[in-house]
Amino acid sequence: MKHVNFSQPLYDTAQEIVDGCMGDAAPACQSACPMHTDVKQYVKLAAEGEYQQAVDVIRQKIFMPQVLGRICAHPCEAACRRNEEFSQPISVAAIKRFVAEKADKKENWNLAQAPATGKKVAVVGAGPAGAQAAVELRRQGHAVTIFEKLKVFGGMMRVGIPEYRLPRDVIDFEYGYLDMMGVEVKFGVEVGKDITFDELRSDHDAVILAHGAHVGSIIPIKGHEAEGVYSAVEYLKEISETRAFPRAGKRILVIGGGDVAMDCARSSWRIGADEVHQCSLEEMEALPASQVEIDEAMEERVAFNAGWGPKEILVEDGKVVGVVLQKVLSIFDGDGNFSPAYSDETREVAVDTVIFATGQVVADITDGALEQGRGGRYVVNKDTLATSLPDVFVAGDASGGAIVVEAMALGRKAALSIERLFTERALEADRNLEEEGAYKTRLDVPLPEGTVDTPRIHHNTRPAEERKRDFIQVDLGLTEEQVTSEGDRCLQCECKLCMNECVMMNDFGDCPKSLFSDFIEKKEMEPLLAYSCNACDQCTIVCPKDFPMKSIFMGARADFVKANNGHSPIPGHKAIEMHQKLGFSRIFTMAKKAVGR
Amino acid sequence: MTNKIFMPGCSLPSYNPEAVSKTAAYLKSVYPDMGAVQKCCGKPTAAIGQTEKFKERFADLQKDFDKVEAEEVIVACQSCFGMITKNASGQKPVSLWALLPQIGLPPELVGKAKNSDVTFTIHDSCSTRFETELQEGIRWVLKELGYKVVEPKHTRENARCCGFGGMVVPANPDLADRVIKRRVEEFETDYVVVYCAACRASMMGIGTKSWHILDLLWGPVVMQGDEPPANVLASPVKSWMNRYRSKVGLNRCMAC
Repeated sequence: MKHVNFSQPLYDTAQEIVDGCMGDAAPACQSACPMHTDVKQYVKLAAEGEYQQAVDVIRQKIFMPQVLGRICAHPCEAACRRNEEFSQPISVAAIKRFVAEKADKKENWNLAQAPATGKKVAVVGAGPAGAQAAVELRRQGHAVTIFEKLKVFGGMMRVGIPEYRLPRDVIDFEYGYLDMMGVEVKFGVEVGKDITFDELRSDHDAVILAHGAHVGSIIPIKGHEAEGVYSAVEYLKEISETRAFPRAGKRILVIGGGDVAMDCARSSWRIGADEVHQCSLEEMEALPASQVEIDEAMEERVAFNAGWGPKEILVEDGKVVGVVLQKVLSIFDGDGNFSPAYSDETREVAVDTVIFATGQVVADITDGALEQGRGGRYVVNKDTLATSLPDVFVAGDASGGAIVVEAMALGRKAALSIERLFTERALEADRNLEEEGAYKTRLDVPLPEGTVDTPRIHHNTRPAEERKRDFIQVDLGLTEEQVTSEGDRCLQCECKLCMNECVMMNDFGDCPKSLFSDFIEKKEMEPLLAYSCNACDQCTIVCPKDFPMKSIFMGARADFVKANNGHSPIPGHKAIEMHQKLGFSRIFTMAKKAVGR
Repeated sequence: MTNKIFMPGCSLPSYNPEAVSKTAAYLKSVYPDMGAVQKCCGKPTAAIGQTEKFKERFADLQKDFDKVEAEEVIVACQSCFGMITKNASGQKPVSLWALLPQIGLPPELVGKAKNSDVTFTIHDSCSTRFETELQEGIRWVLKELGYKVVEPKHTRENARCCGFGGMVVPANPDLADRVIKRRVEEFETDYVVVYCAACRASMMGIGTKSWHILDLLWGPVVMQGDEPPANVLASPVKSWMNRYRSKVGLNRCMAC
């Protein structure tokens, strides 16, 4: 056969399929995860009881599965198809925690590293962003030193997230990976005090600032300077370190509606409060906190005043005696700007302690060298996390990350930028920026046939009245049976609908996208591929995009014949030609009008 | 009155010339002026990619249509239906299966199988998956005869291929085998009715008991335990002899 010149319309159709085929599109859980853990895969393995394999899959992307299994805000669950359809997402985080507790062993941790490059990087902060950045940089072969102000690992996870949600030994166990990877850590060193930012820069080839947002903010309403008013940062840090906060009274009001506010409210019980109140501009349905935190706070009988804003802190003898709340009418104005409006309705809550959980601010440790924006977040290029200083990058809360797993993705992103800096490439070069963080998947498929709503099992919590007075973890985790049944609910979202219908395409590839990108790239097609299509159209019928796979195979056949002197390249087709000759011969044919016509 | 001709196709005449003759005779009793053409529509040539050769072949068929001044072509083959729809100049294909409900069955056949203890699974032809009138006709005929039927999971517009389509058998016989095996896997009864002789050959090839609908129309009532007619299409010599006999039968039918 001569060289086959496939006709342009074939390539055009193939390109259309390659561009639109969802065969390789990530499920929503995976694309919503900033670290893109292969959720579908490890959930399946967990359900099958293959815990070691499940952990291996998780560890390909994240080094702290037990931590994330407990406190990740799990955007994967929000994106889960079962959440969208039935509000009953797969308990991804709980499954992750279970398999990691069951099977994660230090001796299996992947310590692979590129040969040493001789480059030195300083990372400020041992929270999730700094730790992930350090891990990535070590894998690239660079020497890494983490400078950590605290004397412990974890950053805000350690002094922000309460231990009843995240036991400290879990953090230390998983952070053990840093040591095994050869990351040097200097605890108790504060940049800007013990070492200057300039010294840091001159001693290293690059610097990543990942020191989080540890400055509390107190809204300057009337009475905010009274004794008994504290920021959430100060409150949670001290409770984390000492399991106490002696300056607090017995009746506490927490201002805020996010996870930090819930943590403050719930911690208040644990240090001995008699009454715990909350208020927030947002109504109950619109609270920014995760549902689990809200539910557990309510079980612990935190008194919610959602939709009520603080008007004034009442003060007597310089001490807090109560807070006046006013009913919120709206939070944003017509243009979407933050501009709360209130009615005249007020209520008074008698308390002796007020905690502001209304946001944290990033301290400046660069002595003004870098510009800071709202909340002290350093001004960075969002794609590369580069700053105005070529050797300095920012990750995590300090650059605007909101949740732990996002902070990790930002740490990884900063490391990817540094890799380019060190190899003198453009920072944007050779990277898929969209997929370095959470993105919306292209996958859009009908619900699998026969899918029914089944309820989710996501935790086994200790009774509220027992747990609210200690720091032992609230959630005991799933049982083996629960993991199996929960994992079995996973819809294993994928397209591949045509691959379930067509027998033959499976012999040649894993989806039309891969089959036809190969064709476009090599400008070649195996004749047997084209000649194995039954032309039944079943692929197109199930394709959510109605792609015409058949037309490419049939079109290719015509081009094969052209290149093969008018004959099919398939030896067996000689018989068809003979068959056709006879089918048209006079011996076997007739054509007659009716008699008399 | 439009000029009608009957065109049985290729695989049906090769499989069952008696059914061709009987069908032609019955149609002729309804349409006394009806003519007939036995020739291939050229689908296999088109399917293997011989575009130019196909044009020649279809022109050959077109010449016959023109010679007999056909306006409507009553087809018993779903490929013929598609090829005439796409390529004929001036002829409209009418599927025999859509026509039968309009003209009715010979009265003596109505209800003949009402005592049959067989439930047939219907296998639709994938090449006419969107021809609902044709598919309805098949179900109507079976009901008229008195047979009980059941639909497989993939049926009508979702029907799965028998593995024969696209001339895959000579190219990739192992694949064709897997395709038909997967098709019959979902059948809930051991008795299958088809309306394409090639589909029937595919099924018989892997031991699935199947009947062409014309076997049921003109042949004996099928009861549990009955064996289907032999897989004639597996033998080229017998097939061509049958094709010849079919031609002779049509000529005879047209002559009286």
